Amino acid sequence: MTHALRTTCLLMLLVGLASPAAAQQTPAAGRIKLASGTVSIVRAGNQLPAKVGEVVLEADALRTGADGRLGVTLKDETRISLAPNSEIRVDRFLYAPSEGRLAFTMRILRGLAAYVSGRIARLAPDAVRLETPTAIVGVRGTRLVIRVDVP
Amino acid sequence: MTVKAFVIAALAILFASACGPRRVDTPAPVSRSLVVLLPDEGGGQGRATVSNQSGSVDLAAEHDATEVAMNQKPAPPRTFAKGDVNLLFGEVLTSLPAAPQRFVLYFQFDSDELTEEGRNLVPEILRTVGGRVVPEVDVVGHTDTTGTPQGNVQLGLKRAAVVRELLLRAGLDSSLIDVRSHGEADPLVRTADNVYEPRNRRVEVAVR
Repeated sequence: MTHALRTTCLLMLLVGLASPAAAQQTPAAGRIKLASGTVSIVRAGNQLPAKVGEVVLEADALRTGADGRLGVTLKDETRISLAPNSEIRVDRFLYAPSEGRLAFTMRILRGLAAYVSGRIARLAPDAVRLETPTAIVGVRGTRLVIRVDVP
Repeated sequence: MTVKAFVIAALAILFASACGPRRVDTPAPVSRSLVVLLPDEGGGQGRATVSNQSGSVDLAAEHDATEVAMNQKPAPPRTFAKGDVNLLFGEVLTSLPAAPQRFVLYFQFDSDELTEEGRNLVPEILRTVGGRVVPEVDVVGHTDTTGTPQGNVQLGLKRAAVVRELLLRAGLDSSLIDVRSHGEADPLVRTADNVYEPRNRRVEVAVR
């Protein structure tokens, strides 16, 4: 192996090692504006306290206990609130209008949540998907509540 | 386990199930979703489509609702009474954060100089920031469709930087501000390409 080839291989290895770490730098999707009672963020399997001011990242789940309430505003001005005994997950949040890249997928796993559409729904209504265990909700700029009862 | 022990255990289970309380045929509990459409806070009315593999239902009027059981098509829409909406959902709706507030600042013709009306919005922007629990301020530059999309992203950034400077000078904490450009991709007034439109040459400040 020539010296140049060896250097190239080493560089490729380093890039390969570095990129997963770079991919983990998820930009904030939003922030918790209201929190009371038992509330938590579930991030990569870890349960963190959901304090006012805490950032919400893509792939985070938000969970409320029997006395918990949460209110979140996302970067595109989407707003979400959770009643007690509820759980949602922000599966996808992509807000880059200048590149035409817009997506928002939220899953309501159980309980009761309110949703007020933001800029993503205004710029690209089809890029918004609210999922429940039994249905998918598409929106045309709106405000709604979703209740999910699971056995 | 010996064969004998196994036979005894099997017989015991059979006996217990035959003589236990008779099973009543109630349907197994399944997941259900309820979607209720609400009027916009500004007074308008949006719409929603609720669908799955089995079917689809449109909700178009205030308090239209549908229920969807697992593997069933969404039920035909029914309309909730206003009192029921308040009773069932009033509390979760009060947990929604305050609506973001948006200010539009325009630029003078062919310039990165703000109009006086634009500059005069600054005190109100700062007051709004002061009233928020966890304030966040987006300063987003926009252009019309004259020029290239890439050039307009740059131009939008330049305009946003002017407004950022103005807000900093007025005393806003720089850590709250996020500066971006949407270029020509997010117009106030939709136009064809290469159309001069002063209403699209602007910076929008959104306070969340």
